[in-house]
Amino acid sequence: MAHKSEDLFDCILMADDRFHVEGYWEGFDEGTRQGMVDGRKHGASHGAKLSMEVSFYYGFGITWKCLLQNNTDMKARKRLKVLESLLGLIQKFPHEEPQYEHLQEDMEKVRAKFRQVCSLLNVPTDFSDYVKSGGSGGISF
Amino acid sequence: MSWVKSVQYSGEDVFDEDADDINLQDKEWKYNMKKRVKDGYVDGIDHGKEASLQLGFNMGYREGAASTMAIGQLKGIISAIQCWCQLQRPDTPTSVTDLLQRVVKHEDSLMEAMKTVLENPVPSVSDVSENMEDLGVGEVESSCCGGGGCSKGSDCCRKDSDMDIGPILPQKPRLSFTLPTDPFTITGESLEQLLQCCMDIVSELGLPQELIRHLQQLKSATE
Repeated sequence: MAHKSEDLFDCILMADDRFHVEGYWEGFDEGTRQGMVDGRKHGASHGAKLSMEVSFYYGFGITWKCLLQNNTDMKARKRLKVLESLLGLIQKFPHEEPQYEHLQEDMEKVRAKFRQVCSLLNVPTDFSDYVKSGGSGGISF
Repeated sequence: MSWVKSVQYSGEDVFDEDADDINLQDKEWKYNMKKRVKDGYVDGIDHGKEASLQLGFNMGYREGAASTMAIGQLKGIISAIQCWCQLQRPDTPTSVTDLLQRVVKHEDSLMEAMKTVLENPVPSVSDVSENMEDLGVGEVESSCCGGGGCSKGSDCCRKDSDMDIGPILPQKPRLSFTLPTDPFTITGESLEQLLQCCMDIVSELGLPQELIRHLQQLKSATE
């Protein structure tokens, strides 16, 4: 009799557990889906903005390099040197990689170098979207 | 322990006066089990989200970054040309300022389109196949080539992820929808048109050929 009632207890407890687990995995699937959607949305926004900014500096730098390439005066050479430095920084910067541990740090270096370039070129830095540290401080979740 | 009775209940020895009692116990049992399912569901959702949020973020980040590279560079190029004109010439051609405005507009459209598509992702193949099974329509194969290569094209074969939702831009298509960086789904001009316009301006202004080569490279990369 005692044995039979133990089976009964097990039966009930297992049922309780089973229902919880059933619900859990259904919820887990749904949560995974939602997390992917939300995460992807935020990630895309961050990635797009950062890439937009870095690519802007790159395009700007490449163009000025082309424009100054054939000048041999001291001023042009100094400007070219800083431009090469900017382009080099960007080329080495894996800005499209969200897990890159020095993302923020390198981004600040690139921005600073761009400001230096603009100052040397006597270009008004009214690219206000990009010269201020745009976007949130932290990139990763 | 009246619930023990409800488990033992075989349906044979029913006396009318016990019927309501058993009914109530049965209802109570069902209510409690439903609650357990719901509690489990809520726990599951939280854990599922936690597990996939970073993964989703990383995926989206790479896609977003890829999608704005070309337009960002073009914006930089045109801005540089504009600056050069302001410093070297008495006036800046309207074609330059005009193109810059069009580039900015294209950028805004791209960001809007990206946002819209990511707010409402299309269901994945696995979602659809589950539903079809429910309808008794028979199994949809998620992989059609067994890894041996597929003649239908690269976006026919799915990877194992349930979360396949779609590529963004010039990546190898492995997922089920594309973000609209295809020119004709964004209102306004295509990136190719803008790049061509920039090349025309560079020629007109007599700027270095190297710049045209660079623009040409950008154009090829987005085709």
